[in-house]
Amino acid sequence: MKMKKLLAWSLAGAMVATMIPAAGVNAKAEDSLVIWTLTNDLIQFAERYEEETGVKCDVEVTQPADYPTKVQAAVLAGEVEPDIIVGEPKMLDSYYEAGLLADLDELGASEYDGQIVDYVWEKGKDMDGVQRAISWQITPAGIYYRRDIAQEVFGTDDPAEIGQKFADYPTILETAETLKQAGYKIFASDGEMNVFSNKEAWVVDDTLNVSQARLDYMDLCVQLFQGGYTAYATQWTAPWYQAMSGEIPVYDKDTNLWDDAEREKAEENATETTQVFAYGLPAWGVLTMRDNYKETEGKWGICSGPSDGFDGGTYIGINTNSKKKELAWDFVKYCTLNDDTLNWWIDASKGDTVSKLSVIEAHKDDENATYGGEKLYQFWLEQAEKIDLSIVTPYDQAIGDAWGEAITKVKTELMDKEEAISEFYDEIEATYPEINVER
Amino acid sequence: MESVKTVGKKKKKDYNRMGYLFVLPFVIVFLVFSVYPVLRTLYLSFMSYKGFGDPTPIGFKNYARVIQDKFFWRALWNTVKIWGVNIVLQLGLAFLLTIVFSDIKYKMKGLGVFRTVYYLPNIIAATSVAFLFKTLLDWKYGSVNNLLMSLGIIAKGAQINWLGDPKIAPYVVSVINTWMWFGNSFIVLMAGVQGISKDYYEAAAIDGANRWKTFGKITLPLLRPIMIYVSITSLIGGLQMFDIPYLINDKGSAGNPSGSLQTVVMYLYKFGFEGGTKKQVGYASAIAYSLFVIVLIVSVIQFKVMNKKED
Repeated sequence: MKMKKLLAWSLAGAMVATMIPAAGVNAKAEDSLVIWTLTNDLIQFAERYEEETGVKCDVEVTQPADYPTKVQAAVLAGEVEPDIIVGEPKMLDSYYEAGLLADLDELGASEYDGQIVDYVWEKGKDMDGVQRAISWQITPAGIYYRRDIAQEVFGTDDPAEIGQKFADYPTILETAETLKQAGYKIFASDGEMNVFSNKEAWVVDDTLNVSQARLDYMDLCVQLFQGGYTAYATQWTAPWYQAMSGEIPVYDKDTNLWDDAEREKAEENATETTQVFAYGLPAWGVLTMRDNYKETEGKWGICSGPSDGFDGGTYIGINTNSKKKELAWDFVKYCTLNDDTLNWWIDASKGDTVSKLSVIEAHKDDENATYGGEKLYQFWLEQAEKIDLSIVTPYDQAIGDAWGEAITKVKTELMDKEEAISEFYDEIEATYPEINVER
Repeated sequence: MESVKTVGKKKKKDYNRMGYLFVLPFVIVFLVFSVYPVLRTLYLSFMSYKGFGDPTPIGFKNYARVIQDKFFWRALWNTVKIWGVNIVLQLGLAFLLTIVFSDIKYKMKGLGVFRTVYYLPNIIAATSVAFLFKTLLDWKYGSVNNLLMSLGIIAKGAQINWLGDPKIAPYVVSVINTWMWFGNSFIVLMAGVQGISKDYYEAAAIDGANRWKTFGKITLPLLRPIMIYVSITSLIGGLQMFDIPYLINDKGSAGNPSGSLQTVVMYLYKFGFEGGTKKQVGYASAIAYSLFVIVLIVSVIQFKVMNKKED
């Protein structure tokens, strides 16, 4: 009898026990940090930090599209890990609002006031002026172009002269035509000038703002696409990266390159190849290039685009629930405020532009061998002076995506321009009732 | 004698209490994962809530917004369209098979085997089904278009854009859902048929009723309760459709092409689970309850209509 009772109790107990989440399984060694990031950059920083300090770094990379949701869910649920979280400018305001990031001033950030490029330092402060995140980089945009192709088609590879070929949208279309005649494609995708189109905020005084620059950008995309000037390699798809290293197959304009199976089939069936002349990317594009240019290493140059622009930038902060804030702060300092690290990073990244003023000063006259000896730091600093992060809003991702959708509808002739824009308005109106839409 | 009785009683009581202990795990799980979310969703549907901080009450504003939101109605229409075609095909096919397999005179062999085979698509995870069909239906290089071209049904270069044309894609999803679920309906209908007493059929056979008469006058009427069950459960399931349309298009909850695959639950998902820190959990909750009300109304109407036929 006793045995039966015992058995019944233990079975019931087992059932209840399985419902209680196993606590304490994640307990780890004292000196370790859990880092969640949205780019690969921090992996390198973390490896070096681990080497130098012996602190074990556990880095997890998540796609930017899923990153904010994931971080928010974890931090708001009270998770003590990750210790380190990152964000792009467009994510930071919502992070501040949700209270995800620890106060860095308490840990000593205010001591470093004035050592970082102003706009970066300011973006890292929340609405009450408390420092909560710091970025090691500045992110002005430029045009990355192939010097060898420039030499062949235009007879020069001088950044100033090539910059003239991208002076404005009509000129870009002329340049595109010249390159097409010579058998090249000006861009991999039609979205390359996106980084130069955000001159005004998407939302001004709670009202949707479709600026002339956005409309011009839409027209440019449509013309580039329909004129056959691009390689139809959508941004961030495999062929888009591949084109950085030279030849890629010519795809049909309706091939869905996000679908690997379809892409592979299209590659097998392709009869022609082409080469891409230029990319529009921020300063951190040097990293994208570094990881993809392969044989074309050293053949690239960087010049200014049709206007000034910027995009992204990784800001590092600390989970407000972290139990290792001191250690985490040490890591943040290591990545953003340590001259030694930053000097190493400039070299390792093949020329990423850092945000610490003393390091910028020291590298101002550096000639970047990877980009034909250009004084990239000088170039980027000039561009960076025009960066105005106040035009970044938390709506940027969603509205930018919807605008991209509208452009796609027009360029693929699914709708005319008016119809697509009207539908874009409808969607913003339905998604964000707090934004006024004036048609 | 007396003492033995009390011992016996005590024992009984103990076992009764033991019963509560055994249902406890279920009750706890049910309260935490079913009752609480249902009530919490109702509460949130009257709030403005970003997923963090404190919800602020805004009365019926979320519901007013649902009613005015043309994308909600588009999503509902998409859902009804996809489900409508699906249910006709699904029940039609299941019925046809039931007729074939329940025939008294011509005994089909291997019912067990067929039942298993028909049910198999339902066991495959929706993710796998979506990717399977995505590959098969790829409009440039998919097997289906290749087959149609080699059979000469469609011209070379005129491939049908199964999943990229907003006029076709919803029906493709209907067919996929049919393929997944007809086996399930078939099994339930077959169980219903097997529950009908053989006496009726024997009596009908003696009276000289033919196959169609037997089916129309005996099987069909006696199957009505099961049919009500099947159609109401599939209605509820159908209006909650999410997995296949979500997975089979490239833009997730946007339901490409041109939003033609965006179902109500996908629209809800967009506000409740996407948008990073710009979530609108209150609005998502209001969409959920609006859908619940719609399902409720339609189910009641359907139940009434189907029951009425009986007299």
